[in-house]
This record gives sequence, structure tokens and C-alpha cells, in this order.
Amino acid sequence: MPSMSNEPGGETARRSVGTTVRRKEDGRLVTGRGHYASDLELPRMRHVAFLRSPYGHARIRGVDATEAAKAPRVHGVFTGEMPEFSAITLRARSALPSYVETDQPILAWQKARFSGEAVAAVVADDRYIAEDAIELIDVDYEPLPATVTAWIAPEEPVHAAAPDNVLLQRTFDAGDVAGALATAPLVVERELVTNRHAGNPMECRVGVALWDGADDKLTFWSGTQVPHIARNMLAELLGLPEGNVRVIAPDVGGGFGTKAVLYPEDVALCLMARAMRGVPLKWVEDRAEHLLAATHARDHRYVVKAGFGTDGQLLALEADVTCNVGAYSVYPWTAGIEPLMAGGLLSGPYRLENYRCTVRGVATNTSPSGPYRGVARPASVFAMESLMDAAARELGMSALDIRRRNLIQPEEIPYRMPSRLVDDSGWYGKCLDKVIDAIGYEEFLAEQSRRREAGENPIGIGVACYNELTGLGRAAAAGPRMPFRTGHDACTVRINPDGRVTVLSGVTSQGQGLETTVAQIVADAVGVAYDDVEVRIGDTNESLWGFGAFSSRQAVIGGGAAHRTGEAVKEKALRLAAALFDAEIDDLRLEDGQIRRTGEPEPLASLAEIARVAYLESNRLPEGIEPGLEATRFFDPIRGAFAAGAQAATVEIDRSTGELRILKWVCVEDAGRVINPQIVEGQIAGSIAQGIGGALYEHLIYDEAGNLSTGTLMDYLMPTSAEVPELIIDHISMPADNPLGVRGVGEGGTLGPNAVLAGAVADALGTEITRLPITPAAVWAAIQ
Amino acid sequence: MKSARFDYLRARSVEEAVRALADAHGEGKIIAGGQSLAPVLALRMARPALLVDVNRIPGLGGITRTSESSIRIGALVRHSALMRQCDHPLLAEVAGWIGHTAIRSRGTTGGSIAHADPSAELPVVAAALDAVVRVAGPRGSREVEAGDLFVGALETSLTEEEMITSVELPIPQRWGFAELSRRHGDFGLVTVVAAEIEGRWRIAVGGVGSVPYRPAEAEALLADGPLTEVTIARAAAATAAGIEPSTDIHASGDYRRAMTEEFTRRALTRATAAPDNGAA
Amino acid sequence: MNVEFTVNGACHSVDVEPRRTLADALREDIGLTGTHLGCEHGVCGACTVLVDGEPVRACLMFAVQAEGSSVTTVEGMAGADGTPHPLQKAFCDHHGLQCGFCTPGMLMSALDLLHRETNPSRERIRAELSGNICRCTGYVGIVDAVEAAAQEMNTAG
Repeated sequence: MPSMSNEPGGETARRSVGTTVRRKEDGRLVTGRGHYASDLELPRMRHVAFLRSPYGHARIRGVDATEAAKAPRVHGVFTGEMPEFSAITLRARSALPSYVETDQPILAWQKARFSGEAVAAVVADDRYIAEDAIELIDVDYEPLPATVTAWIAPEEPVHAAAPDNVLLQRTFDAGDVAGALATAPLVVERELVTNRHAGNPMECRVGVALWDGADDKLTFWSGTQVPHIARNMLAELLGLPEGNVRVIAPDVGGGFGTKAVLYPEDVALCLMARAMRGVPLKWVEDRAEHLLAATHARDHRYVVKAGFGTDGQLLALEADVTCNVGAYSVYPWTAGIEPLMAGGLLSGPYRLENYRCTVRGVATNTSPSGPYRGVARPASVFAMESLMDAAARELGMSALDIRRRNLIQPEEIPYRMPSRLVDDSGWYGKCLDKVIDAIGYEEFLAEQSRRREAGENPIGIGVACYNELTGLGRAAAAGPRMPFRTGHDACTVRINPDGRVTVLSGVTSQGQGLETTVAQIVADAVGVAYDDVEVRIGDTNESLWGFGAFSSRQAVIGGGAAHRTGEAVKEKALRLAAALFDAEIDDLRLEDGQIRRTGEPEPLASLAEIARVAYLESNRLPEGIEPGLEATRFFDPIRGAFAAGAQAATVEIDRSTGELRILKWVCVEDAGRVINPQIVEGQIAGSIAQGIGGALYEHLIYDEAGNLSTGTLMDYLMPTSAEVPELIIDHISMPADNPLGVRGVGEGGTLGPNAVLAGAVADALGTEITRLPITPAAVWAAIQ
Repeated sequence: MKSARFDYLRARSVEEAVRALADAHGEGKIIAGGQSLAPVLALRMARPALLVDVNRIPGLGGITRTSESSIRIGALVRHSALMRQCDHPLLAEVAGWIGHTAIRSRGTTGGSIAHADPSAELPVVAAALDAVVRVAGPRGSREVEAGDLFVGALETSLTEEEMITSVELPIPQRWGFAELSRRHGDFGLVTVVAAEIEGRWRIAVGGVGSVPYRPAEAEALLADGPLTEVTIARAAAATAAGIEPSTDIHASGDYRRAMTEEFTRRALTRATAAPDNGAA
Repeated sequence: MNVEFTVNGACHSVDVEPRRTLADALREDIGLTGTHLGCEHGVCGACTVLVDGEPVRACLMFAVQAEGSSVTTVEGMAGADGTPHPLQKAFCDHHGLQCGFCTPGMLMSALDLLHRETNPSRERIRAELSGNICRCTGYVGIVDAVEAAAQEMNTAG
């Protein structure tokens, strides 16, 4: 024991939250020693390949897998009409009135509803052999007319249950839209179409399923963002006790929402594993499969009409929003995920009383739409901001003034949006001001005029303000009235006998650094050094419960649970210390792993000494105190935390080619209290880059027959280091109303770029962009 | 995404390679850098029975100055080596536009030309410079002019048992190169090479047809008198007038035609900007 | 076919089908799973390794083509005593990775760049790394890291 200490304790305890600590993940990831599911190698492991429909829409008259089954080194061939497969469907449930429930087969057998849908699967010695064997399977298809555009009536419906392909429709209605539009001095109408694109994490989907024959236990290693939900759903679908299913998501190479879904391939792997007990089955999705069959997003049309006052006040908004939800209602989130988000948040951070918005999710013969970073809002913000810009031009106002005129103000908080969501942020104006300061607005205007006069290539500025609904609690849970509510997460904190801390957290990480963030929170809550905290995540056998990574919820909810649990276990340690040292618990503190008594320069004991008593010296345990130092707590923020954000960029346009060059990009967001500045900035930067990708490059295009024309990364263009500009990122930090004061931060960056870039092009050229992506060819055509 | 099965031969000589190709009866394929072939194999869009690896054949990797005004590039010269050489500045510039570093370190001159991708850079250079391609076959070698080599998209006049051994290109006095691509390193939507050889201007455009396009009319317009803004504009317009580009997911035909005019203008303008430095 | 090559200084002999990519041989036959596969058709750069000192997409090279070659992967970047390479350290310091899946390829491309150029500008770094797609970081941290590593390597002499 140290006899003297430089630290008298008290106010000098080291805090981890708020600092940029070294990420716990990085050491293994930069040395090639990460544990991705795609790296997993197990004894007797076999490899799976799926045969996928080459048709967008076709009746399946028969599948002949005889030759494939006879091929050497092939161990199993599975098709959808096999009873164990046909008995199970994925049926995303919702209690919303208009919702038409539909079934997604595990392997398509009566009908293929999109190009790339899995029809059969082969198990072989390796992936090469498996791909050889799927070529031997003969499928008798009868092609049907395909529908790929959600706003064109189908010749042949995707599902018999929905003859018009509409799976869900809902109208948000507040105030008197017709009246307000009739008297509004200015009415702006637009039709805007956004481009289908997708998360495309660098690691595609992956699953390894092992069914233990002896006691019917299933282990499923997966790149999933939602291991606990996956366990719950797999147990239910496969008729297993929940405790017999273990889902493990080790290191995961990106997710962005794409992996927050239970896919038919996941279930197929588990069913095949049941048929081949004791044999681990591995499927690593390749990029072509991913582009075809992992969820897509953002294929929307907005027909919008807004009324404005002569002072720029937004008086009314009427909208008709159609979202292409693809061939199936994505499991378990339903086809409502995009339309309901679009309608719920279309009016964004602007005051509005009169609102009517009909949203619908329409099935087509395309890959199902699912959650993707920013769910619907990159499109809805584009729609709203396009209206703002158009009205400003009509009224002769600046893009900034019209926004300032309408932004919800801090004193109006809590603000009930016309969709009845309650905004608790209000700091939009402050974000916008900071953005405009950083972008150098006056210099920009001077340069813009100079270029106009000199006849040089034009420059333009685009601005977007947005609100992000993060960390949804039970009162504002994600998803449209599904059978489960996603408001809470659990955390277990264990002080080990050596005084170090192990955390079993319900959060998952696909790159967001949750191991690090949770360790920071627990280190501070318990009162130990960051390096003494180990965090285990992604294994349903270790952590009690977590809904997973979506809706920017984990820092708020999982972080809140970690904080509460850390405090609870600290309380236990202090109670034990108080009893051991005959002290008042209120006089004791736990800091930097030492128990200190107020007013005393020397620590009473180290946490390790207390922990040793708790586990190993029950003879010293005071009356009424149980052995061990562990706690488990849940946290639910009840409501959500809105996060304000604003972005602006200046661009230069080459008038002769339509090429656009981003000159400067600024983003200011309110992340609430920042746990790890470097991680927060990384989240914002990464999401802006994805937003830029969606605005300028990424487009999943189907031809009329339902074939994906952009089936490789030669045609699906993700931005590289040469396309993404330097990014200026700043914060305002307005603590939210939760134990840590944090707001979610992972998605906001994606919300701005569509609107910012379309606005900047319009500002430069005076020509509006109503259809995304903004390609050089499109800009050039606009100039002509 | 795994290739279908194939046999593999690591050829030690050109003779061995072409004999193996002949024995494969059309089912053989040469692999050099593999940067175009390997993806096609992985996607199972090609399934040769035999891959003949020519990478270890000695004598195909050299760059030789054959005269004051011409250079011979061995079939196995990598794009990265083209970038580094100083004898042919146009080729050095163009090679830098091919893909990315890890593509250029493997991809070869012979491979790129034999692959005949209408959007690739080197076929456009070869077409512009009237390169002479030396080809080996079971019955000895022959020479093919670039204009006779490219017969369609991904299609050459080479027989199934022939391989390219070297390419001879004149060194232009003045030259200009201009390319429009969606992202850094992508294939060009429109690629234009303009080069002056023995006082005569040649233009080749890639990406707008199934083979590199040589606009005879535009070249003729430039035959008399110096390049000026006016003659360049006329030549650029004539170049664009002579093509029928198709519409695809990346650009409309109209856009490609307009960009052909614009990038022809740029290539010619760069060619006049500074001797021996025709790129901006 | 039997093929022999060295990986990070160690000699390996593997029996592979001719169609087996170098990436699969490294990952599955040799057990070095640090080299990742993001697209398998030569676009994303995740599988970039050095072959005889040159950057190569390991998904576009067949293992049989590596006969007699010397391959360097991310597992071979650190010093013999385990000291991280300045690039590895800089990627940690500057948040040059999030999910880490593109990181091995990114590190290999950066290593190749810093072999060739001692003081690349940010613009050069951006151009040279444009063959490697990162979906997480927006590239800011990566460019910062490569810039810092170059400085560190220059100071270290």
C-alpha cells in the first residue's frame, strides 16, 4: 500500500467521459487480429452458397436439385418447398390499421418476388464447390410482369394480399391545411424523387450456424446489429427455448442499419444447421449478393405543397409521400419504417400548425427496403429544405432568413410537432449560426458576385437544418406499433476480485466504438481507471438484454444503463467499505480505484482490497452483505432526445461538364454531452460522407424487368478519399434530459447532404434539382 | 463470388503460351495482370478451361526506345512502369489515370490492349497513335495496326491462340489528354487523346462507342494551319458530330456527345499549351 | 497445385486449386485473416497486400501466381518485437478506423505510399488512397493518420 499519495482526493478524480481515450477496439483491428464472423473457422465447418432468382418476378414451377445433390464434396441441398422451410415465414407484424401483413419465405418456392431472392442453398466443403453446385440446380421459372417503381400501378401485384401493392398507408393531419393554403400569399409545389441506395458496410452479411445435436442448442455467429432481437426471433421461429439460442456478434465490419434486420438467409442457415447437427455452416455474403439482396433504402417520391407568408413564415404543408418498400415488409420492422419516419419528421425543425401528410409504403419487385442510417430523413429533409429554398427565392429572401424565421426556438421547448412528436432540442438557430460563421458567408457572397460578373464558373451555397430523433424510449419507440417496444437496454457491471471491472453490456458495435464509450461511462460511474474496465458486448449469453444498434439509441440508452449500473455497483462497494471500516457511507467516495473518506488525504483502501473481501473473504463480510460485487440495471429514457443539426457547403460547378466540386463543408450538431469527442466527430464525418455518396454517386437502378443494373461496385459508386472533402465539424453541447445528458449522434450527418448539395447547385445555377442523385450529366442537362 | 474451375499453366516462353492456347481449342485465356480478367472470372462471366499465365515469360517486360520518335513497350510492362518512364510523356500521363495504385502495379500494357475495353485508356492511346501491336501465334508473329485490332467492345481481331508481345508507339511532338470520370480512378465516361505526329494531328475518343473513335473529319480540319481556338472548336464539334453514343446508367447519349466535344477541345487546348506537357 | 511463397518472412507451402485467390489462400489456408474481402472484384481495396513490395489486390491474384513471391500482410507490419508500425499507431491516435474492416487494406496502401513518398500532401494522400473504400470514417481520420505517420517516420530518420 502506498504510504503517501500526491492526490488528496476530492475534486481531482480523473474523469474519462468527455475525453478522447484510446479506443479499446483499435489494438486488435490495426494488427489484423480482429474477430469478425467472416474470419471464424471451426472444426468440420462447411460452406454455404445460395442460388438466387435471376428474375424480378416469376412463378416457380419447380426446382430440380438432383444433380447438385450428387456433386462431389456437396453435403446438402435445400429448397423452399421442403417442409422445414415452407413451414416458416417471416411475417413482420404491426397493429397499424391499414397495414397489410405479408409473408416472406425463407427460400422462395411458389414465387420469386425480386431479383436476387434466395431460392435454394447448397452446403459444400468450400465456397468454390458450393458455387459450382448451385449452377447445377435447375429452376423452372415462369416470368411475371415486374413492378420496380412504387408510383406506377402494378400489372401483377407482388403479394396477392395487396392487389394495389400498398402495404401501408397513413395520414398525419393537424390544423386546417386547406384553409391555410387557400389564403397563403405564396404556395410552392414540387415533386421530388430520391435515389435508392444502401448502407453497403465493407463487411457484407455473414452467418455461422451450429446446432448442437446433443441438447438442441443453436449458436449463431452473425454480423447482426441486433443480437438479442435475433435470438428472440430465431427461438420463436425455430420453436426453441430462448435459452437454447445464443447469438454472437463479434467484431462487425460496419452496419448502418443494413444488419439490423433478421434476414431469410439467417433463418435458412439455422434450419440447415438443424438438418446437419454438429456441423458449423458458414455463409459469407459476397458483394454481388449484398447489392442484390441486402436491404435497400431511400427510394421515395414527395409530392409537396407549402404555403408561406410574405415574411417567409411557413403556414401549411401538404404532402403525399410514396416509399418503395421493396418486395417484402422487412422483418421485424415492417414496411412502415420509412414512410412513417418520413411523415413523422417531414416538417423537421420548423414551426408548423397546419400539416397533412399521407405516407404509403408500396411493394415492388425490388430488394426489400430496410433501416438505413437516417431512415427516410435524408429524403424528407431534402424535400422540406427544397421547399424552403424555393420559397426564399420566390420571396426574395435569403436561404438563411427564411430558415431563421421558422426554426423552433429554445424557449418553445418542448415543442409538439404537427405529427405529435415532441421536440426537446430547439437549438437549431444556434447550429445554423455557427455553421454560417465557419463557412465564411460574407466572403462567399463576395466571391459569388465576382464570379458572376467575370463570367467564371459559378459557385453556390446550400444549407440544411434538421432534427434527429434519437434514443427513443418506450413512449416514442421505433417502429409502427410492432409487438415489441424498443425503449430499454440492460447492463451488468461486475467488479472482479482483483478490483478491475468487467461490463456485460447489451449494446452492439459495428464500428461506433461502444466498447470504448461504455468503458468510459462505467469507469466514471464506478470510480476506476478507464484501462481497468473491460467491456464485453454482442453475445446474448453474456449480456442480459439490449435491443441493439439503430435509431442512434445506444449512447443514450445503453450508455444510460451502463451509468446507472456503474453507480449501483459503486454503491455496493461503498456500503461494504463503510461496514468494514466503520465509516458513514456518505463520507466515502470511490475514485481512481481507491476508497476515500472525506477530509482524509490517504485512501482507506483500494477497490481491489474491498473486492477481495467480497469474493474471497466471506469471514470478513459484515452482517447482511452478500458476497460478490455485481449489479444489473435497465435504463429507458421514456421519450427520446432530439438532436439539432445544421450543415452548409459551398460548391463550384463546371458549367461545361456539370461537374460539381465541393469547396467547403461545415456541420454543427448538438450531441448533448459528448462522451468521446473523437468518436463523436468520427460518427458525424462518416455519416456526412455517406450522405454525400447518396447525394452525388450512389444509385441502385433496376431496369423495367426488375434486373439490378448496378450489381457490382463498378457501377454502384461509393465515394472515396478523393471525393469526400475536408469536413469542418463543430458542436454545441446542450445536455439532454437523461442521466448522461447525451443525445444520439450517429445518423444526423446523413440528413444534410442531399439538401445541401441540391441547394448549392440551385444557388449557383438558378436551376432546381428535383431528382437525385446529382450527377454531372443531370447538372449539365439542367444547365442546357 | 468465386471463379469456376480452370486449369493453369505458368508459361515459360511465348511459344509455350501460344501452343497451350492452340491446344485449348478456344477454351484458353491468357492472364497477365489479371485486373480485368480476374473480376470477370469471379463473377463467372467468363469460364475458360485453361488460364495461361504469361507473367513469368522473360523478355516481355522491357521498354525500348526504338528510334528518336518511337518506343516499344513489352506486353508485360505494368501501368506503374509506364508512369515512371520518361521517354513517352503521353503514356506516362495516361497511365496515371488507369485505376488505382494497386491496379497499376499489376495491370499490363498488353493485357489492357488485348482486353479492348472501350472505356479503358490505353486502347485510346493506341488508336490515336496508330500503334503497331506485335502478336505471336502458333505460326509465328505478325504485326497489327491498332485500327485493325479493335473490332468491338472487348473484342479484337486476335485469334484465340494469339498473344500480344509488344506494342510500338510513336512519340508525339505535342499531345493532350483529357478524361471525364465519375470518381477518381474510374473508367472514363469520355476519354480523349490528341497527338501530333510528324506534323499531323490525330484524335481518338474512348467511351463513346464499341471501339476507340478516330474522327477523320476533325483530323482533316486540323491538317492545314496551326491550332487556334477556332480550329480547335471546329475539330471538337466535328468529333462530336461523328459519334452516336448510347445512353446508359451513367450518362445519356446527349451528354456523352457534348462531353466528347468539350474534352476534345480540352485535349487539343492542352496540346497547344506547352510542348511535351499536354495534361492539365 | 502446390505453391510456395513467403508471407511476412515465413515460408508457406499450400496445396490449392488454381482458381483459389491469393486472398482466400492467405485467409483460409494460411490462417492470416487480417486481409479482408470487401468485394472480390477488385474495387474496394480491402484485400490489398504487398507482393514483392508492390501493392496488389489479393482478390485479383490467384495463389498459384504468387509462387516464389514475398507477400506482406497487415500481420507483418509491426516490428519483430511487436512494436506497432508508425502507421498503425497513427491510425489509432487519429481515429483512422471505426469498424476496422477496410483498415488492413488501407494500411497496406498507405505503407506503399510512404515507401514511395516521404512527405505526401493531404491531396496526394487522398488521391493515392482512393482505391480503398472506407464506409465509416469519411476519410478524415485516415488522411490525418497517414500525414502524421509520414511525419513520424521522417523524424525517426
